[in-house]
Amino acid sequence: MLSNSNTVSKLYMSVIDDVIESVRELFQDEGIEDRVLEDLRQLWESKVMQSKAVEGFMKGPINPNNFVLQLPANYAQTLHKPTASIVIPAGQTLQNFTTKANGSGALATFSLPPGVSYPVQIPAGVTLQTSSGHLYKVNVPVMVTQAPASNRILPQPIQHVMEPREQVAPQGAVASVAPTAVLQTIPPPAADTYTPAAPSTTLLHPSEPQPVPHQQHLFLGQGGALQPPGALQPQLTLPAVPQPPPLPTPAPVTPDSPGDDEFTLDGIEFSPQPLDMSQPSPFAAQLSSGQACGGQLGAGREEVGQDGGGSLPVNAGEAKAQLVEPAKLEMDLMRDFNYNDLEALQQLDGACDSTSEEEAEEEEVEGGAGADEDEFLGMINAEALKALQEAEGSSEDDGSSSDSDALDDAVEEVEEDPLNSGDDVSEQDVPDLFDTDNVVVCQYDKIHRSKNRWKFYLKDGVMCFGGKDYVFSKAVGEAEW
Amino acid sequence: MRPGRPAKLPVFSKDALRFASFAAIMAYQLYRNTTLGNSLQESLDELIQSQQITPQLALQVLLQFDKAINTALANRVRNRVNFRGSLNTYRFCDNVWTFVLNDVEFREVTDLVKVDKVKIVACDGKNTGSNAAE
Repeated sequence: MLSNSNTVSKLYMSVIDDVIESVRELFQDEGIEDRVLEDLRQLWESKVMQSKAVEGFMKGPINPNNFVLQLPANYAQTLHKPTASIVIPAGQTLQNFTTKANGSGALATFSLPPGVSYPVQIPAGVTLQTSSGHLYKVNVPVMVTQAPASNRILPQPIQHVMEPREQVAPQGAVASVAPTAVLQTIPPPAADTYTPAAPSTTLLHPSEPQPVPHQQHLFLGQGGALQPPGALQPQLTLPAVPQPPPLPTPAPVTPDSPGDDEFTLDGIEFSPQPLDMSQPSPFAAQLSSGQACGGQLGAGREEVGQDGGGSLPVNAGEAKAQLVEPAKLEMDLMRDFNYNDLEALQQLDGACDSTSEEEAEEEEVEGGAGADEDEFLGMINAEALKALQEAEGSSEDDGSSSDSDALDDAVEEVEEDPLNSGDDVSEQDVPDLFDTDNVVVCQYDKIHRSKNRWKFYLKDGVMCFGGKDYVFSKAVGEAEW
Repeated sequence: MRPGRPAKLPVFSKDALRFASFAAIMAYQLYRNTTLGNSLQESLDELIQSQQITPQLALQVLLQFDKAINTALANRVRNRVNFRGSLNTYRFCDNVWTFVLNDVEFREVTDLVKVDKVKIVACDGKNTGSNAAE
């Protein structure tokens, strides 16, 4: 397929060029800087490259482990926030962790002047750029604080984001973004390369306990981990949680309950793949492990992490994986799981109309409780489903009490989709049928049918089979219906 | 026209001119749901999220993309593909054909691709100007 992929690469590049050039004037008319247009081009190209639909897009070595903080050209001290003890002005040079020459032209790197202390505020709009030119944008103002001898700097969602980033990089935690790198490298100005190897030293330098504000979180905005107005681009890598020790002192803002975590996780939107992280599965794996590591939030969190690990690889494999959603789904399932369990207990205790079917259902539900999340789901789907149906039927017949109704409703909501789909026998149906990865988008010249023999005369098409792209100017096909 | 006097041309505002130039030809938006189109939309969404561009501008970019991809496919691609399979479903609505085929082989001169399920979405290709003789 070499010839074809080459053709497709060239075609796509030419389309990208055409589009960018033709909207350049539009952008200028709107008063938008060229930098934004370049951003668009970079984003677009990197996404196309990542989708693996095409090869040959490589514009230079991808070095995900080297991050340099690049401030926007117009970045001034506009982001002063009262809580930040330091505002990073443009023009300051940060520790440059790049081990390779920066190939992307002039980069405004900045470093923390020696002696500066946390917290450091990274305002929104700051672009983090790797040496290879990939951009990571901070959309939400973040404040990086240092926790002495502790590893948690970030609120959970960011942790999730960051950890995979970090570990994807070959050098491990280097991938941590410059700001955190900032945090970290205050001590040794001489160090050019950041060695993530030392696990505990990841970005918090225990040897240099700064006079930390007791916050040991990275805040999103001011209010602490609530849903930020804009999506936090996952590229904002923050020191991850590979650090083992939990916070020595509970930070005032620590979310105390798993519910908070879930809440914050819900609020964070992962954008589609970060620009140069091209390994979705390790990413997902890291994410899950990162989640597991960040065990400060307690058991519920860890479960979520585990679950996230289970389900995320599947989702992350998609080009458009929204990482939060699987995690959120998992949490929802967790909630439901807990809820079902609870209700089941209630039923056991005192349901006046509990029938044998309901009891059987409860037993099955509880039996599933001990299993893994996935297995539990399977059990719910397969076994409790049937029992549910019976329970529903019986409860309706009995004119059941509100308790059983509530239980049924709750479980029913969870089961509704699988319930309905389980009823279908001929399931090879419309909803699933039209959902496929292999798509051809084209125009038809002529469609012909004779009895049940169809002939297709198509043109100007783009095909995508298993992620790989092809194009044609004419296509002729036959099929029998 | 009297000699020596320049003709008076109607004066359009810049916006009106821009609108006219872009509204002149609408190309099929069909190709937005491809790798290229989706990645463009995602990138634009990111820029909108970070408020670097307006949604209106993003729409203009997409319109421009439609034109560019339609032109590119019509002019810069010159290959032919054959395929054979079994037809699972067909649908014709609003002049758009949608087929789902099973066990299809796509054959080009150089190579062969087999897929067990493929969806084909085809807009009316008449009068779109790419009927060059092959």
